Amino acid sequence: MLADLINPYYLQVLTFILINIVLGLGMYVTLSAGQLSLGHAGFMAIGAYASAILTFTYHMPMIVGMLFGTILAGIFGLIIGLPTLRLQGVYLAIATLGFGEVMRVIFVNWESVTNGAVGMSGIPNLGREISSALRDWGLQASSFGLRNNQLSSLVVFILLLIITILIFMFFRRQSQSRVGRAFAAIKMDENAAEAMGINITYYKVLAFVQGAMAAGFAGAIYAHITGYISPSDFDYHRAIDILIYAVFGGSEVIWGPVFGAAFLTAIPEFLRSIAEYRYMIYGVILVAMMAFRPQGIIDHRVLYRLKRRRQAKKAAKREKEVS
Amino acid sequence: MFSEQIINGITLGSIYAVVALGYTLVFGVLGIINMAHGSIFMFGAFMGVVATSTFGLPLPAAFLVAVVTAGILGFLLEVLALRPLRGKKGVSHLAPLISTIGVSIFLENLATKIFGAGNKPFRTSFSEVSFQIGSVNIYAVQIVIFVIAAILMIGLSLWLSKTKAGRALRASAEDLDAASLLGVNTKKMITMTVIIASIMGGIAGILVGMAFNSVTPQMGLSMGLKGLAIIILGGMGNVRGAVVGGLILGLAETAVVMTGASGFRDAIAFVAIIIILLVRPQGIFGKASEARR
Repeated sequence: MLADLINPYYLQVLTFILINIVLGLGMYVTLSAGQLSLGHAGFMAIGAYASAILTFTYHMPMIVGMLFGTILAGIFGLIIGLPTLRLQGVYLAIATLGFGEVMRVIFVNWESVTNGAVGMSGIPNLGREISSALRDWGLQASSFGLRNNQLSSLVVFILLLIITILIFMFFRRQSQSRVGRAFAAIKMDENAAEAMGINITYYKVLAFVQGAMAAGFAGAIYAHITGYISPSDFDYHRAIDILIYAVFGGSEVIWGPVFGAAFLTAIPEFLRSIAEYRYMIYGVILVAMMAFRPQGIIDHRVLYRLKRRRQAKKAAKREKEVS
Repeated sequence: MFSEQIINGITLGSIYAVVALGYTLVFGVLGIINMAHGSIFMFGAFMGVVATSTFGLPLPAAFLVAVVTAGILGFLLEVLALRPLRGKKGVSHLAPLISTIGVSIFLENLATKIFGAGNKPFRTSFSEVSFQIGSVNIYAVQIVIFVIAAILMIGLSLWLSKTKAGRALRASAEDLDAASLLGVNTKKMITMTVIIASIMGGIAGILVGMAFNSVTPQMGLSMGLKGLAIIILGGMGNVRGAVVGGLILGLAETAVVMTGASGFRDAIAFVAIIIILLVRPQGIFGKASEARR
């Protein structure tokens, strides 16, 4: 029964949605401090390549590769962020755009390590790794009534869902804390924030490095799920993908990038005919959003309305029960 | 050998300077980075290819086609992507950046749809002609490129400094509101600035097509990035800085190719950005206060 419900294809789409949500959250946290990064694809590439090289070439455990990829992306974020974030916002956008291109150039040219433009294949697969670990504990796919590929897709999805929720909770709590208020103040007006005693360079770098680490982690996961990465996976188009999750969904509230990533990842899967024109549509969306709804689809007001509607329903239900 | 490389570097640098001038003009007047400039540049290059290869038109006609196309694209960019954001309350400073990124990704993929993703050769009747001066070999294409680039740069600075429209434009760059009070039609000036910048980009597109004998939809991004590196190097909104910065980048890239690391040529622009931001964030010719918030 369970076996019929679990379709590996849908699970894979859902898994990619989760990866993109992590990427969108990374973009959100950077935007929430009023900074625009076009280098998230480059950080994603660092995470992916670092983890792939450690696990494939040096046979390290996967968890080490992922952690190292995440941290390395953060270190690069620090190196880019420190000189540029002392300045106006446009400098970060330009520097990160250049950073993304330079990472691509390095991964193409550093052939002895990265296999150049051809890309790396045969990267250890996360699902297979976990399934074999489960088998060692005596849990076979058949004991759940599943096929092997169903089980591996399912455990990857569940694991990633838990991690995504944890990351989401972290950013959500942070946005309601002292740090989040500092981000919001900087986004509103840097000069006023500085006058209020906020160390704006510190908080801008913090937001940017957090975004870079989220992208690096998403990249590492991506490498271990697809098993194949090449420099063209992390080009300018990927940077636009990540940007539009937050711009379309909304960069004001944390639900925005979650909605944007889920919606924009799912739609091309179900509407194959428009997938071909995807980036032209993205271009139109970016221009139109800026002109008509710069805060994105989901903003405070939408969330407020949803909440009120839910409360109204609850109240109506309660009244019915009383009468 | 060495002096040939110097000439290559100067030719390349003069094209970069023309690209960077487009960024500098728009930044000077509007205070925004026009991310779509690279794509308009790329469209200009493709118009040159279509005019010369497909329709067999002579080179001056190709320039005309590219100028008209780039001008129209610049006008549409201003009307559709920039004007709606201007003067609106609560729009963050990132909005025009994101909006022009949208235009750039749209144009790049439109070009891929229309012209295909691959390389297109750009042939001119004199692409193989070369002169021997002493021991130095110079291609006719290089002379044509350098002359056109020099005419554009000199023409632009003369126009900015001597004509009434140029003065109005500089006044708008100084202070949009004050210029408006003094009777400058700033709306018209802004539209004109974006159109002129786009036309410079379109012409630069043809020059690059001639220099490398190849045109691709992806060239807008890498050239756009170089233009941005140059305006950071020379100082944002500074015309002289754009010219000097362009020549520096052209010579630096040629030097890297000479040492044999040609694969890393495109990385120079990025390295230049990081170094200049660490050492002198306002750029070579910029004023100290400009780069700060």
